[in-house]
Amino acid sequence: MGRVIRNYEEGDEITPLVKELTQDAINLFEGSAGNTGPSQFTDEHAAKEVLGTEGTVASGRMSLTFAIETLRRYFGPDVFNHTGVVDLRFLRPIRPGDTITFTGKVTGMTKEANGSRIVVAIEVNNQRGDTTGVGQGSAIVPNAYLPSED
Amino acid sequence: MAEVDDRIELDWDALEVGETFDKFEYLLTQEMIDTYRKGVMDSEASFPTIAHKVDVRQYNAKYTDAGSVNARCAFHCYNPPVAGKRLTVTAWIADKYLRRGKNYIVTEAVSVDEDGRLIDRVITHELKQPSEVGKKWGG
Repeated sequence: MGRVIRNYEEGDEITPLVKELTQDAINLFEGSAGNTGPSQFTDEHAAKEVLGTEGTVASGRMSLTFAIETLRRYFGPDVFNHTGVVDLRFLRPIRPGDTITFTGKVTGMTKEANGSRIVVAIEVNNQRGDTTGVGQGSAIVPNAYLPSED
Repeated sequence: MAEVDDRIELDWDALEVGETFDKFEYLLTQEMIDTYRKGVMDSEASFPTIAHKVDVRQYNAKYTDAGSVNARCAFHCYNPPVAGKRLTVTAWIADKYLRRGKNYIVTEAVSVDEDGRLIDRVITHELKQPSEVGKKWGG
């Protein structure tokens, strides 16, 4: 992807990202490192034993991954994959069958030695409107990607 | 013959902030990346290391406990890892705290590839009483 010069303003809303969670998706995520044993994420019995829930849940790291995708799409991979940060708190479990939506709004901009850090507040909601996660992310956008100040 | 579990039972009070675990090395394969991308439904997802949970792997290799729930996680992207490269993970106990009578452990880890490229940094806050999830959110 080529270099895109764009302006950032406080209050800018970023394009929401919607994900439908399935048990298959969770199993692939958990198995991607070769872990195939039962866990609270992949096995109902393990979930009952460890968490006391009736069914499996998705790892918070899946929400983290989706938040990263949301911001990567906003900033572009050439910026976000090298300077991006996401810090997310997990407030409610996400389960197979849930549809979760990631939204964000620019809340701040600060000058850095190598560009401007753009800060985005992130919220995650499920299909019932419950907030399942909150946090923030940021990336340092190089000056070359920002409009000239002249 | 059954394997002997020689892990130490976690004593949260005795756990020392700053304890650094043995380095963990693994080979990142294209299959790992592809499986991760399918799972997260994103063909451009660049940090499969998130799913590998390498930040807590060495903790879990040393200690045994009642399990954990991820309460908060921060991820810093430096350079997407490349298939076929060996990654080395250094992890340590960054913090621990008690909140509303519940114990949390914060682990931090940095991944570097065989060429010395910094890949990512992950900071994970784990609640060490996972059954609280069922108590709070039910079935």
